[in-house]
Formats: sequence, C-alpha cells, structure tokens
Amino acid sequence: MRLSSGEHRRLRRRYKLRTALTAYLFLAPNLLCFAVFLLLPVLWLAFSTFRTGGVLGPAEFVGLDNWRETFGDPLARTSIRNTIVYSAMAIPAVFVIAMVLALALRTIPRGGSPIRVALYLPTLQPTIVAALIFTFVLHPDFGVINFAVRTLGRDPINFLGDISLALPTVAGIEVWRGTGFWTMMFLAGLVGLPHELFQAAELDGAGAVRRFVSLAVPLLRPTFYFAVIFATIVNLQLFDTVFALTDGGPANSTLTVALFVYRSLFSFGEIGFGSTLSFILVITVLALTGAQTYLMRYRS
Amino acid sequence: MAIALIPFLYVISTALKDTNSLFSYPPDWIPSPIYWGNLRSLLQDQPFVRWTINTLFVSGAVTILKIWFDSAAAYALAKMDFYGKRSLALILLLSVAIPIAALIIPLFFVVRYLGLLNTYWALILPPLANPLGIFMARSFITAIPDSLPASARLDGASEFTIYRKIVLPLIRPGIVVLGMFTFMLQYTSFIWPLIAVQDSSRQVLTVGISSLKSAFLPDWGLLSAAMLLAAVPITLVFLAVQKTFVVNDLSGALRE
Repeated sequence: MRLSSGEHRRLRRRYKLRTALTAYLFLAPNLLCFAVFLLLPVLWLAFSTFRTGGVLGPAEFVGLDNWRETFGDPLARTSIRNTIVYSAMAIPAVFVIAMVLALALRTIPRGGSPIRVALYLPTLQPTIVAALIFTFVLHPDFGVINFAVRTLGRDPINFLGDISLALPTVAGIEVWRGTGFWTMMFLAGLVGLPHELFQAAELDGAGAVRRFVSLAVPLLRPTFYFAVIFATIVNLQLFDTVFALTDGGPANSTLTVALFVYRSLFSFGEIGFGSTLSFILVITVLALTGAQTYLMRYRS
Repeated sequence: MAIALIPFLYVISTALKDTNSLFSYPPDWIPSPIYWGNLRSLLQDQPFVRWTINTLFVSGAVTILKIWFDSAAAYALAKMDFYGKRSLALILLLSVAIPIAALIIPLFFVVRYLGLLNTYWALILPPLANPLGIFMARSFITAIPDSLPASARLDGASEFTIYRKIVLPLIRPGIVVLGMFTFMLQYTSFIWPLIAVQDSSRQVLTVGISSLKSAFLPDWGLLSAAMLLAAVPITLVFLAVQKTFVVNDLSGALRE
C-alpha cells in the first residue's frame, strides 16, 4: 500500500494528536489535583500578598504594604532567623550521623535487619508523638535525662524552658527522628555502588577514608543531591514539633515561619501578612533548591 | 540503637504505670504491678479507636490514589511523546520544592470554597497534588527498556493495556517504596489535618493525640498509652514491607 504525501502527513498528524490525547488522559487525574490544590493556591498566595483584609472583612488592594509590614515586623524576622538557624543545626548533624551509621551498617552483611528496624522506628513516629515523647524524656521533674543529671549531682536542666537551649533541643529531636530515614537512604545509595571499584581501590592501597572521600562521595552525588533538596524543603517548614513542644516559646526563641503563618491566620486573622510570609518561604525554598541544583549538577 | 530505643521504653513503661507513681524517685523502669487504667480510659473515654480508623482510612485512600495517579502520569512522561511534555515536566519539577506549610492559608480557602472543610475529602485530595511521587515513579519506569512498550504497541496493545499489563507489574518493588513513603508521610501529617478538620470524630490520630495534651494538667499516663498505640499500626505496615523498602534508592527520582 502506498500513501500519497498529503495522506501520509494527515495520518501522521492524526497519530500524533491521538498519542497526545492519550498521554493527557494518563496525566489528567494528577494534573487536576495539581491545578486545584497546588497551582491555584500558589497563585492565590502571590495575589493576596498585595491585598489586605481579615477572614471576614472585605479585601482591598494595598500595593506593597504587606511586604513592608512583613519585613519590618520584628517577630517575622525572628521567625525567619530561627528557621534558618534551626536548619543549619539540624541538617548537617543528621547527615553526618546518618552517613556514619550507614557506613557502619554496610559492614554488617546479614542479620543487620533488627538494627535497621530499630533505627527506623523513630522515623515512623508522627512528629507530634516524637515531640510528646521528648516533652517527657526531657522533663525537669521526672524526665529520664534529668534523672541522670541529678544522679551526677547537678541541677536539672530545663531544656525547653531555656531561651538559648530550646532551639538546639528542637533540632536534636528532629535529628533523632530523621536519623533512621537518612541512614536508610545513604545505605541504599552505598549498597548500589559498584563493588569492583572499591576492591580495586583497596588493592591499590587506598585506605578506608580515602575510599570514602575519593570514591563513595563523588559516586553518591545523586543521593546527596536528593538528600540536600529534600531536607531543605522539609526542615524549612518545621511546624509540628514546635507547635506541640514549645508553641514558639520561651520568648519566641523557637518561633518558626510555619508556626507564625499558622498563627497569623488562626489567631490574628491577618491573611495579607500571613500570605506574604508564606510567599517569602516559597520563594526562599525555590531559590535554595535552584541554587543547590546549579551547584551540584552543573559544576564539574 | 540505644538512643533510638530508650525513649520508646520510657513511653511503654509510663503507659503501664499509674500517673502518681510516675513521680517516684528514682523512677522504676519496670512497672509493678502493671497498670492497665491508662489504656482502658484511652479506649473507653476518648475517641481513640475512631481516630485510628480515620487515619488508616485516609492514609490508605491517599496511598492507593497516589500510586494510581502518579504511576499513570509517570508512564505518560517516561514513555510517550506529546506536545508540551518538557515544559510540563519542568513545572511539576519546580513544584516539588513548594513547601506545603506555606500553602495552608490559600489551601484553607480553596477547600472551604469547594465546601470540603470538615470532610474526609479535605484530608485526601490536597496531598495528591504533590508531584514528588510522579518523579519517583518516573525513575522506576524509565528503567524499563523502550523496546518493551514499543513491541507491545506493534502487537496492537493500547496504551492502557501496556500500562496495566507491562509497566505496573515491572515496577512493583518501586510501587511498594512509593506506597510506603506516601503512607508514612500521610500517617504522620499534622498541620493540614489540624486546619482542615475541626470535628473530633473525623479527626486523625496526630491531631487527636495533641488535643489530649491541651488539657490544663497533662495526664502523662494517658498520653503515653496513646503514643504507644499510635506507633503500632505504622510499625506493623513497615515490618511487612521493610525488606523491599530499605534496599531501594529513592534518589533516582530527581535525576534527569
């Protein structure tokens, strides 16, 4: 059968149109949810940074007032600073601990499974449960840690009541919770690396540290890329733990951006203000992940 | 490992103690006699069973729908050619980085506008919008050689048949990982259920447990019992799939 060139083109176009239709049919359920529950909220958020009005009051266009107010608000600045300081403590700590554990676990060939499960248990717990667990493990009166401190003859430490200790304590709890997850992530990455390379390096006399730095680290680049991005996104929206443990206190030393956004809606009813702060969070995370992508993918 | 486990032992021991003996000094680790009052009052006086069922229902529904939606979308992105594919993938990839906590205000209004506040739909639908799962599923599907769907197409199989009969069975281990990941995130989610549902009988475990705490004087025995029981279902689910889960590398998701 021979087709004229016009007929050929027509059939080709019909075929392409049909594949496109099928493809969008496959994408449809997902794109619908995406459009309604993600794209629309983001656009709404961007739009409402220029408007004022409470939950009930009429909305008015106010130009850049919200932006000025948000950047001028000392509490908003505190919340941004706390979120950054917290992330700067929690992310590197959990990565280092998880990497060390993953390297150790890799040397246990069989029967390491109970250890893995035990390590993973904290990760499976809802943050709120983890937070409550620590409210009492750290309790000045009956917490087990302060029991140990008192046995040593010291005064009990009020971990969550002390302005300078509260944020590091929250970071510590998140590290406890996250260690299992990241250990498994790094372990999966390490197990997937080609074994022969490491054997060859060992034969050539490369020590364990050298093998890790020169072989494992560069080969694990995709894993690290995912880890850094994912950890940034998750940690910059810290909410559950501070909501349950400290409610931002003492003296706002654990007030995070997400907690402040929640309050601006449900306690003060200030939508314009809360939206602007939210929008700043969105832009920050987008910019950070963009920068990380650039640094980790396109350099070298 | 000890650091991971000691807090749990402490919770188990507190759950099985009378609240008064909690303050004894030094603390006794093994309660004697075992006190069942905390567990009993949790199950009888609080809607704890209801919260557990709600959580399992919502997490299960989200997991099943997400596996379906994400794998279908990922199949289109991985194995089909169509107009607008590259820009669509880019928009979805960028959206992975949008923190959900920053969207609670507009999401609240969207869900309220749709009349879904205080319903299970409010808990189930918004998590489906997160595009991270598409990229996880895509990384599993990309690993399938192109020749497989291509030869099935030549044999006259429709795209839907290829997806159901060839792609889904081949990416089963990946689906388990995606499913467990989704279930875990959903089971532990807190900020959105806290906002979307006020009715205590429709509430999920995390918010329910935190509402137990808001009483004037927290009942630590009761709270411990709640935490102990809340840990059981998710741990069982994890144990069931842990062999597949721990050896799979999720990082392929964001690899281009």
